[in-house]
Amino acid sequence: MKSTATTIGRPEGKTVAVGVDAGSRAIKIALLDTRTRAVVATGSCDQGINQSALASDLLARLLAEQGLDAGSIAATVATGYGRHAVAAADRAVTEITCHATGVYHLHADVAAVIDIGGQDSKFIHLGTNGLVVDFSMNDRCAAGTGRFLEVVAQRLDVPIASLGEHARRADKPASISSMCVVFAESELIGLLASGTSRENIIAGVCRAIAQRIAAMAGRIPAGKIVFTGGVARVAGMRDALAEALRHPVTVASDPCMTGAIGAAIIAARENGGSE
Amino acid sequence: MKDCGLDWFEEMVEHCYQKATEFHEAGTPIIGILCEYTPRELILAAGAWPVCLCGGDADMIPAAETLLPAGICPLIKSTFGYSLNQANPFLEMASLLVAETTCDGKKKMYERLAERHPMHVLELPQKTGDPDARIHWIRELQKLRTVLEERFNVAITDERLRDAIRLMNRERRLRRALAQEMRSATPPLSGRELLDLKSLIACLPDDLAAYERIAGALPGRPADARPSPDNVRVLLTGVPVPHGAERILDLLEADHATVVCQENCTGIKPVTEEVDAEADDPLTALADVYLHLPCSVMTPNSERMRRLGELAREYRAECVVELIWHGCLTYDIEAAYTRELAAQFGLPYLRIETDYSPNDDARIALRLGALYETVRAARR
Repeated sequence: MKSTATTIGRPEGKTVAVGVDAGSRAIKIALLDTRTRAVVATGSCDQGINQSALASDLLARLLAEQGLDAGSIAATVATGYGRHAVAAADRAVTEITCHATGVYHLHADVAAVIDIGGQDSKFIHLGTNGLVVDFSMNDRCAAGTGRFLEVVAQRLDVPIASLGEHARRADKPASISSMCVVFAESELIGLLASGTSRENIIAGVCRAIAQRIAAMAGRIPAGKIVFTGGVARVAGMRDALAEALRHPVTVASDPCMTGAIGAAIIAARENGGSE
Repeated sequence: MKDCGLDWFEEMVEHCYQKATEFHEAGTPIIGILCEYTPRELILAAGAWPVCLCGGDADMIPAAETLLPAGICPLIKSTFGYSLNQANPFLEMASLLVAETTCDGKKKMYERLAERHPMHVLELPQKTGDPDARIHWIRELQKLRTVLEERFNVAITDERLRDAIRLMNRERRLRRALAQEMRSATPPLSGRELLDLKSLIACLPDDLAAYERIAGALPGRPADARPSPDNVRVLLTGVPVPHGAERILDLLEADHATVVCQENCTGIKPVTEEVDAEADDPLTALADVYLHLPCSVMTPNSERMRRLGELAREYRAECVVELIWHGCLTYDIEAAYTRELAAQFGLPYLRIETDYSPNDDARIALRLGALYETVRAARR
């Protein structure tokens, strides 16, 4: 389990709001100081069968690292695919609202959010104050999600973390014609056999994913587009998106955590704090 | 068991079945209808009873897909599937079906249905406001009158037609009054409860009496039986929600929301306008009101947008949800207009495209959740 922590000194009473993002691949938790609205700590662990217990354990560890305990929690909001199965949560909020809130917290000039996770992708249009104005979502087809990259990484025997470096070295990204990840997998093998480089295949897949996001985006806003979610860590995806959207794309400053941070902000807000 | 007289409609299908059986055994014709454009008044004036045959059951679809393409609207497939499965007792009892040329899917399905049941098809002209279209529609209704008279050996006099119009107007008034209760800041009913008040057979005396009782009792309904006044107020628009598919309303209202207005053919659309029973020519008056119905098959369908704007204000909607059955091209194309209208009103908008299967429920719930979160955030 990785955790990153910012120590702020030991607060008294119920001063921490908790956001739990129970995603398809990992559970992410953010602790937020309810007074300053600063992120106190974040952490994540792999998803598993007993999600609720995994989330509770991770939360307990994060709190302990800050010298806090369950008594310090003002409120907990859960989001993500598994949001209804987090026993520690007071309520569930959709990841659409949470990612918008989390990204807005980190980038106050954001006009739209692209979130690409393990098994879905979203394009969220924001209005003033980070409120969601409109959104499109693909939660039906793996071809626009992190799943596609997982399949590619496995097939080409490249660690996911290195996909980006490989994509950067592409000189002629392959054109992937399959609509479906299952069929695309076979297509990749064919491309390798005919001498296409791994770099070009990976870049081609990044492009294919970006094209699906562009198709779902609708009207492209003039303002800042921020890219978040696990797939935002894959270097090369940002460039592919910017190319497909013909618009600059900024990677969120903490792409894995924006859902959890957003959830924690909402938890803090609902507990009587002001904006 | 429901309060305020609503329990009467918990047995709606049973009541309709009993009545239909009585009529059938007494030799009173049952006539199947498949669309709100078909004038019930003509059927009633012929001494027959109009029964809605629109299918809302997903289980009827597989049979239909042996002859119809899978990609068409579930309502069309379900309706046809009932025929193939011989599973709709009202259809089996019907002496005649009156169909109409509305959308492409229905038109072609009716060809198949006509192989199995006696059918008369009305041609609905689709140019709004065109005087020739209106004349054509009046002629179609005149033809229907003649067909009914000859088939059932009855004279549909103007007087009989006026009586039927008065009766249908009464039903419209009663149903409209119940729908308008939802304008309140503390709606006495959920959208699902309101939808459940729709009967399969038009103008049954017991149903009309039940509507009167309910209208009298609703104002006194206690707060704990009403939906919460804090619920998000939803204006639902788009396709009809036939009997069997009502769980869509449950999905819409599951997360602290109330569907305060249903702008569709199973909701407010067909009960909005009354026919002038005292008009010089009642058939013409009938034709005019029915032709006004703003279905997406009509072009242009600006009346729908105009009414939607009025309804959004009247019912103080906080968001607009547009329901589109898979394969419904005309409502899907109009969705862009609805979206623009909602934006003009500053209302969050969500388009839901689905069929009758529960597979989409989680996806729909997620999107509705996000929509309602936006509404609640905007309230702050």
